Amino acid sequence: MRSKWPLILFLCLVSFAFLTTDKSHFEIPKNWPKPLYDFSKNPLSENKIRLGRALFYDPILSRDNTISCASCHSQFTAFAHVDHDLSHGINDQIGTRNAPALMNLAWQSSFMWDGAINHLDMQALAPISNPLEMDEKIEHVVSKLQHSNIYPQLFFNAFADRTITGEHTLKALSQFMLTLVSSNSKYDSVTRKQTSFTAQENKGYVLFKNNCASCHIEPLFSNFQFENNGLPIDPGLNDPGRMKISQNPNDSLKFKVPSLRNVEFSYPYMHDGRFKTLAEVLKHYTSGIQQSRSLSSKLQQQLVLTSSEKVDLIAFLLTLTDKQFLFDRRFYFPKIILSQTKDE
Amino acid sequence: MKNLQLSLLFVLLCSGHFLFSQTYKICQLHILARYGNAALRLSEQPNILRSSDSLQLETLKFYLSKLELANKGKLVYQEPTSFHLIDAANENSLLVSFSIPSQVTFDELRFDLGIDSLTNVSGAMGGDLDPTKGMYWTWQNGYINFKIEGKSKFCKSRNHQFQFHLGGYQYPFSTVRHLHFEVASSDNMTLKVDVKKLLDEIDLSQQDHVVSPGKPAVLLSEKLGQIFSIEKQ
Repeated sequence: MRSKWPLILFLCLVSFAFLTTDKSHFEIPKNWPKPLYDFSKNPLSENKIRLGRALFYDPILSRDNTISCASCHSQFTAFAHVDHDLSHGINDQIGTRNAPALMNLAWQSSFMWDGAINHLDMQALAPISNPLEMDEKIEHVVSKLQHSNIYPQLFFNAFADRTITGEHTLKALSQFMLTLVSSNSKYDSVTRKQTSFTAQENKGYVLFKNNCASCHIEPLFSNFQFENNGLPIDPGLNDPGRMKISQNPNDSLKFKVPSLRNVEFSYPYMHDGRFKTLAEVLKHYTSGIQQSRSLSSKLQQQLVLTSSEKVDLIAFLLTLTDKQFLFDRRFYFPKIILSQTKDE
Repeated sequence: MKNLQLSLLFVLLCSGHFLFSQTYKICQLHILARYGNAALRLSEQPNILRSSDSLQLETLKFYLSKLELANKGKLVYQEPTSFHLIDAANENSLLVSFSIPSQVTFDELRFDLGIDSLTNVSGAMGGDLDPTKGMYWTWQNGYINFKIEGKSKFCKSRNHQFQFHLGGYQYPFSTVRHLHFEVASSDNMTLKVDVKKLLDEIDLSQQDHVVSPGKPAVLLSEKLGQIFSIEKQ
């Protein structure tokens, strides 16, 4: 009997190891598709998410330490840039596109309005190095982090390594961004049969399904494809959209279809933030579509909506607001960064 | 009795290890960066390589990946996680070591010049693939497979600089090149990269930079195979 003790001890140790393993795991909302992000290559952990959150809110990522990711991605607007048609970087430089909302990123296969970035891990490199945004180099970011008071310990907690690398910096940022899941809007409660739409919202939902859902596919409210939605070209920007990346003329003026979740707060709208209200957006789709060779096949037929139908449709769009997401304390400005911003 | 069983198991495991274990030997691939027959001394500037245009070279970096050995056309060795950033200015990077089973003989060396498309879309990587290594595009992400920079009086650009950053993995602008060479089965091989063979092909007065994926990057990448050769021992 005594000879079994080592085995029992071994089993106890194994069980303990499992029990103490980080419980951070990615929950897929019910009836949602499988995420595209490969979590096996970057398994979530509390310490990595904590580090990613600190990095997301830390202006150390920019050349002059003045702007952070959160400067253009505020939680209360679903991590979009409120009131700015085009986002601005260090030294008040104005960029060329509207900062998109950040949510449900694990389901996206490409990033940026033109899909220039093929993986969430690499997304942060674009704003870090864009001269109009953070104007910094990842090599220098890593060096600044290595010499900071807090980061070597945070990286050690996350990756068991005090030596900071580009890979770990980017993976930690991904971890925080992956946790930005918005799936608790009224629409979601209705699909879970916990509540029901008002009559007006219901009418709006029917209109949505008939007129918008071919691109804004439920439950993520986007097909994440590139479409030309008939916006007249802004001569000040002359933005070719997806064509710049694919170098295919058929992709001229195509931009990624954005999700409509939290659309109530993620204004202004479109890749260049040209519309401030949802009413303006609907006006564009009903009477502003500009014909061109690459216009989306789904917009070839004119969309006709009465003014009351437009109101109903907007009532439905407002059911996509997820207050739990917009005010989730897990995504707030972290105290650890506040401790670094003391006045001297 | 139980002790005897355990002892037998131990003996079996040990003998299994002995019977099935392989011995390995270290194989070394030396990279020799040259302009014709002249050594590239990138740390010594100015290092004039061609008098007609005071040609100087400042950077030569490229990825060598998916290293393989073959014998009579049959694959006999594949280096696991095989990504090597070769930097002519970094002596350490010019020696690629890998261990192969001792009994393996081969007559062919194969590798990719650059980074394959799957790796390009697989997120953040470490080691030589870390984006801090200066071989990664950020505005349209992807690895730069081959980078050569310098100065020539033929260039009409600012400070007579030329910059060729060759990369791109998406169809139809893929730039990764699969290269293979006949070699003698040896623990020591020398791979020569002669940048003269590339620069002689470029009219620097007409083309002084390629810094994004696209047709020009593809056309120049097609010339890269000819600049590599195996030095006979």
